[in-house]
Amino acid sequence: MTENHGYNLRLYVAGQTPKSIAAIANLKKICEQHLPGRYEIEIIDLMKDPALAMRHQIVAIPTLIRHLPEPLKRIIGDLSDTEKVLVGLDIRPT
Amino acid sequence: MSEADRDPKAPLFKDAQETVEAIHHGDIDAIVVMRGLDGPQVVLLHGAEEPYRVLVEQMSDGALTAGPDGVILYVNDRLCELTGYPSERLVGRYFASLFDGEPPKLAPEVTSEASLLRNGVDAMPVSVWSRPISIGETETTLVRLTDLSIRRRAEQIAAAERFARSVLEQATEAVVVLSPDGRITHASWRAEQLAERPPVGCTFSEAFPLVAQNSEGAGTLARFSVDSLDTMLATKPFHGVEVKLRGERHAQSAYLLNAGPLIDDRMANVGSIVTLIDLTERKRVEERQTMMVAELNHRVKNILAIVQAVATQTVRSSSSLENFGNAFTGRLKALAIAHDLLTKTRWIGVELSELLAAVLAPYRSPDETRLSVSGPPLLLPARAVMPMSMALHEMATNAVKYGALSTRRGVLSIYWRVSEGVNPTVELVWQESGGPKVKANASEGFGTTLIAQVIGHDLNGKTGIDFNPAGVRVTLAFPVEAPAGARAVESGAASA
Repeated sequence: MTENHGYNLRLYVAGQTPKSIAAIANLKKICEQHLPGRYEIEIIDLMKDPALAMRHQIVAIPTLIRHLPEPLKRIIGDLSDTEKVLVGLDIRPT
Repeated sequence: MSEADRDPKAPLFKDAQETVEAIHHGDIDAIVVMRGLDGPQVVLLHGAEEPYRVLVEQMSDGALTAGPDGVILYVNDRLCELTGYPSERLVGRYFASLFDGEPPKLAPEVTSEASLLRNGVDAMPVSVWSRPISIGETETTLVRLTDLSIRRRAEQIAAAERFARSVLEQATEAVVVLSPDGRITHASWRAEQLAERPPVGCTFSEAFPLVAQNSEGAGTLARFSVDSLDTMLATKPFHGVEVKLRGERHAQSAYLLNAGPLIDDRMANVGSIVTLIDLTERKRVEERQTMMVAELNHRVKNILAIVQAVATQTVRSSSSLENFGNAFTGRLKALAIAHDLLTKTRWIGVELSELLAAVLAPYRSPDETRLSVSGPPLLLPARAVMPMSMALHEMATNAVKYGALSTRRGVLSIYWRVSEGVNPTVELVWQESGGPKVKANASEGFGTTLIAQVIGHDLNGKTGIDFNPAGVRVTLAFPVEAPAGARAVESGAASA
């Protein structure tokens, strides 16, 4: 369920690799801080189903895809640089 | 970290370049590669802490990794099973949201209990253990959740099993537990001893083939074929049927068969407990008692018959009622003396010297010079005691009335010996002297007849009465009963 101005974010990870772990933690932190109540995160573990990577041509892990709002945006890495994530997802910092 | 807009028209090589840069900068630690026909696969790059990952994933307990603020970063398959949610629904949630009520406080290496929500609704007791762990540069907490309900149930089952085993071990009788199909699942030590073969796994009939003891039991057991007997024992109560076990070694034993079905809390039959209680000793005691009662009856009848005979004879030979009364009373006394002595020795037998002492007690003078008694120890068997007592009493009565015991100067000497040999014989001599001159017709009267009859008939012996004028001399000779089990060898067949 997303609101009209909500963010739909999909994070592709590989099980418990350090960067995967870090990406999840960081993403959640960023969303809580800058998009409270306006986001939906989906974590997709490619270790469980690598085929899911084909749909959006994921090669690097972790990769974050912003589905909503459009257009699609992609960020590669563990999302530890908050500023760059905000810019990349086009989020105005609160 | 690099960033890029996804533009469908952008050349692919830009993605590739991006990926390479990301690897170069160390921004990622896994990539997806196409391996020909196998399809896409995730390849972990160096430093991805593979062993730890495998461990957590393989754990039979539920496990998750939580970030510093409690965000779930990773869950293993078992945790998905426990919560009823797929990993996508769990990763990204807060750890506390998994629990019903108070979430557990996570202290390193400390175990606590909490209530995990299953499907968001049901509460399941879990044990919680955690420890901090660094993954790359992120400080995380590894949390392990163990399903207590299963463990508790397994512990309860294990405890019940241990209890059942210890009960069986303590049982002194044969006890077996049957499953509903009549097969033995547990057996006490005594049951294992009695069984035809190792009982666990067999049907009851295979381990304990039965023969009904009495007609009542035969009726009850005969109603069932072997197969249905096993099922009956497993499902119906069965009380107090006396049975014997088939087989040579059980020939002397008897058992009481009892079966009580077991019902679980859903009123379903889950088997039964069957006991075989050893009646052998009890039956032996019963038999012994029955024998004793029969023996007592026999003896009482004997005594009554003797008394009757003595009364009849005494009447015949008594000239007056008063005489009858005295004589009869005297003879009864002799019987009573014998009876008392026998009862004291439980009817095993009485020493001849003791019998003599009892019979002659009324005639002992204070200075003890009149009487002399000597001879080797000789145990008179029970059946010889009464006749001997009567014979001695007759002789004593005669001695008192007419013989050595009628005057103060009279002397009575009694001695006996046992001859050696294959058939040992007792020879007892009753010698009176110093009394009044013995009359010529002293031989008449019942007393001497009774003596001869008693010794001859009851003791299988011979009597010699010599009415010597100087004093009566009575000689009794009768075979000594050999002790039980040491019978004299029969001299039968002609020697070669």
